[in-house]
Amino acid sequence: MQDLLPTTEGREILRFRESSMNDSGQFVRMRNALEDLECRTLSQIPCDFARLIYLASMRDYNSANYHHEGLVARYGHAQARDALQSSHRDVFRKLVSLSLESLVTELEAYVRASHEAPHGLIHAWQELEPYRVAVPMEADSSMVQLFLSNIRLALEVLRLRQEQGQASRPTSSPQPLLDR
Amino acid sequence: MIPGFTFVAVAAFLALLLLLSTRDEEDKDYDATVTRKRDRLGSAHALPPAELALRIFSPKDREFIRLTHSPRLERLFHKERRKVAVHWVRQTSREVSTIMRHHRLNSRYSRNMNVAAETKLFGQYLELRLLCGVLLLLIRLFGPHALSNLASYAGKVYEQLGRAMPDAGPATHYGGSGDLAVP
Repeated sequence: MQDLLPTTEGREILRFRESSMNDSGQFVRMRNALEDLECRTLSQIPCDFARLIYLASMRDYNSANYHHEGLVARYGHAQARDALQSSHRDVFRKLVSLSLESLVTELEAYVRASHEAPHGLIHAWQELEPYRVAVPMEADSSMVQLFLSNIRLALEVLRLRQEQGQASRPTSSPQPLLDR
Repeated sequence: MIPGFTFVAVAAFLALLLLLSTRDEEDKDYDATVTRKRDRLGSAHALPPAELALRIFSPKDREFIRLTHSPRLERLFHKERRKVAVHWVRQTSREVSTIMRHHRLNSRYSRNMNVAAETKLFGQYLELRLLCGVLLLLIRLFGPHALSNLASYAGKVYEQLGRAMPDAGPATHYGGSGDLAVP
């Protein structure tokens, strides 16, 4: 009977195997949660910029923890959190690597999808800069600064297009320009 | 006499560049909420330095803005990109100093130090610090957009250093084999 009991070294190995199986199990569940998030939710969102805003909105303002009821119910709290965090960082990275022109297109698509009046949305975003909250935690500071700077520029490009659109439209009275 | 003067002038210029790359100016706009400690080489979600440099120093973006024919937008673009470029260079310079310091501390306990590799590493470190100084000077003089190749090269040197010193601090997720085999 004594022979069947593992030695101290054997017990260590067993514990290691158990923990790595546990880790790989958790990893697989996290991967599943990530696939689920991408297939069921993110694929329904029209553009990466809207995905970024959506993922940032899943993060608590105070604790910075991500939360998604459906994912938690299916995969557990930690896996849901990791999947949301990983996805948020991926989308952010994708947006930072875009050219300014492509980012303007992204932002345009976001404005269209929001169903808000473009003029009001652009004005509010330039005043309040809510997009700052969309940055993932622990992102590289140069990436963050490039992203914020590009958003400011993209908003300015959209504003300019709005102004040019208004100027070219025949109106009975001239529209005031929104010079800040 | 003239070679002596040239030597002194070159040495003074290099010292100036190093000073430029180490001076820690406050980026007033950016400091508060967005520049907490964030690892560039430590995360798989960060863009590699050379790729990020190409984005920041991109002439394609400048062309896009130029085609809007808006002087206001062009001014804003130059101001914004200059700030981001300066930030990137300073961050690179700071991070490489930290990596080098950690590596130096770790090397003290190494029993089989490869002197040739260490010398090459130190050469690359100096090269990168000088590149950072040159970039800061040129960004101030001409703006960032003529410098995309130089900045991308600096990013590549930084990646090489990160790969060569896996024992030093936040480096690196560039798992590939480095040029240097540092014990």
